[in-house]
Amino acid sequence: MNILEATDVSVTFESYGQQIKAVDHVNFELPRGQTIGIVGESGSGKSTFARVLAGLQLPTNGSVSYLDKPIQSGKQTYRGALRKEVQMVFQDPYGSLNPRMKIVRAVAEAIAQHQALNKKESIEAALELLRSMGISGDDAYKYPRSLSGGQRQRASVARALSAQPSVLIADEPTSAIDQSAQSQLLGLFNNLINDGLSIVLVSHDLSVIRYLSDYVYVMKDGVFVESGKTEAIFDDPKEEYTQKLIASIPGRIL
Amino acid sequence: MSDQPLVIIDALKIDVRLTRAKRLPIVDTATFDVKRGEIIGLIGESGSGKTMLCRSLVGTLHRRGAYIASGKLVFDGIDLVAAKGAQWSDIRGKQIGYVPQSALAGPNPVMLIGAQLEEAILQDKNFPKSKVKERAIELLNIVQIRRPEVVMHQYQHELSGGMKQRVMIACAIAQQPQLIVADEPTTGLDVTVQAEIMRLLLSIRAEFNTSIILVSHDLPLVNQICDDIVVMHAGTTVEKIPSKDITHAKHPYTRALYDSRIDLVEPKGKLTTINGQPPTVGSWPLGCRFSERCDFVRDECRVPQTMPIISLGPDHFTSCIRYTELDK
Ligand SMILES: Nc1ncnc2c1ncn2[C@@H]1O[C@H](COP(=O)(O)OP(=O)(O)OP(=O)(O)O)[C@@H](O)[C@H]1O
Ligand SMILES: Nc1ncnc2c1ncn2[C@@H]1O[C@H](COP(=O)(O)OP(=O)(O)OP(=O)(O)O)[C@@H](O)[C@H]1O
Ligand SMILES: [Mg+2]
Ligand SMILES: [Mg+2]
Repeated sequence: MNILEATDVSVTFESYGQQIKAVDHVNFELPRGQTIGIVGESGSGKSTFARVLAGLQLPTNGSVSYLDKPIQSGKQTYRGALRKEVQMVFQDPYGSLNPRMKIVRAVAEAIAQHQALNKKESIEAALELLRSMGISGDDAYKYPRSLSGGQRQRASVARALSAQPSVLIADEPTSAIDQSAQSQLLGLFNNLINDGLSIVLVSHDLSVIRYLSDYVYVMKDGVFVESGKTEAIFDDPKEEYTQKLIASIPGRIL
Repeated sequence: MSDQPLVIIDALKIDVRLTRAKRLPIVDTATFDVKRGEIIGLIGESGSGKTMLCRSLVGTLHRRGAYIASGKLVFDGIDLVAAKGAQWSDIRGKQIGYVPQSALAGPNPVMLIGAQLEEAILQDKNFPKSKVKERAIELLNIVQIRRPEVVMHQYQHELSGGMKQRVMIACAIAQQPQLIVADEPTTGLDVTVQAEIMRLLLSIRAEFNTSIILVSHDLPLVNQICDDIVVMHAGTTVEKIPSKDITHAKHPYTRALYDSRIDLVEPKGKLTTINGQPPTVGSWPLGCRFSERCDFVRDECRVPQTMPIISLGPDHFTSCIRYTELDK
């Protein structure tokens, strides 16, 4: 069964008198417990589509459903108990963290909101979650502006995970961290996947996509030009654009 | 003059002011040179001080509550430690172009992209006003932004992540600076655009003998385009190595970093991470700061000491006192 499904979704923006079709009549399926990768060139509509899935951008056409029920009613999406089920990690971690809140508090508050824990327990859970991503206790008590780019990125992943969602929509979640921290984070994702988490992973890092995804969609100019099992996309890409993408992966070093 | 390195960074220490009396060392210490026309890849642990080091080169440490506590920082013969406001406005943007890591957070949110480019172009007071628009479009074309005329009239929230980054690069190269400091300029760009941006940096270097400091976590990319690689860990530069020699790195941290790359792992396979947790700023272990996580550690590594800079060639140094034993 698909936990998330998009049918004939379009998003059109108007800017300076021009219509920009960011997403153009696309269909998409996320089977429960799977990880779907979305790749594609810059400006092809990945983030816009991810925001539609997360209910943060209303489509100009088409619809998204969560467990076969439309997520939208009126202008609202994911109402009531559904709200916590789908969480998003934004491409720009700065924008998604409250600048006036120490990150441990931001994460602890989200934990307290969604899990039955008291304040002290939620702080402990927050510290534990951050530590599992390589953020020390000292760093957890910093404000976002006092963190490095990669620390901030992990803080925003922690905030999204603290709701214990069923679906994580992650827009470039590992782009700003070093290799070891990246492996640590992917290991955490692996554990969560084993516990049933479904993931939509948008990334330019094809090794991350290859490592985690069961299935890959390739986006270009607002449409999915190709989709398929991860091995098939990497080993035998059909579309010219996908071939170009795969061919330009910088070579191995060692 | 011109055989002097363009940038000299020597035992540079950067502190953050926490309270009036309390200081926290963020970079302690960093040492490396950048030659004219050289591309340096600055890699290393997240939180190790790469961005702070970049900020010291454009005089914006104070915006993060930080300052240069000691050491040497020289650019083209100018002592940057002593540089004052007026001097900076002649250096920043003009002689040193900067692509900040927060490029994703975007350029100025309330300014049209065109106006920002105009500002970058008019740092040169003699630039003819009538040519500004043309030059702005030219810059957008150089960084391969589609529909440049539309983008000129857009705000940053209307651009995709990669488009914002390219606008920042366009601003940084507007004055053809001698040094470009690019803090993760290609994170979040697809590989094809990434390759184009790298070709662009290479062609700027070829034409103007520009030096480039490229901060990146993308090790294959760094390897491909940089002459030398400088590796940071816990506030210090632990190794500098020509990229062609990277497979023979002489610091255990450099090796551990390369070994934890996920392109070495089969899909869903077992991941490699560096043992333990990264040390936190301010509570670094005495002696070698990697000692607690190192497979080669011995008692002498933990003795409180300033780790040496052991020269292994003109462009190669390590701070590991046991480097001869790494291959045994
Ligand atoms: N609020 C908006 N107003 C106008 N245009 C927008 C808006 N948001 C996005 N766009 C446009 O929609 C297109 C797709 O943008 P989107 O951010 O989805 O791309 P992306 O695939 O995520 O790119 P990247 O890989 O660079 O992050 C771009 O042309 C962008 O300029
Ligand atoms: N105002 C501050 N107060 C306390 N700690 C700070 C402050 N500013 C920065 N830091 C710390 O300084 C360290 C260096 O930060 P910097 O941004 O230079 O790291 P980086 O190497 O660029 O990391 P990344 O690869 O994640 O971008 C980080 O550990 C950060 O937590
Ligand atoms: Mg995007
Ligand atoms: Mg940084």
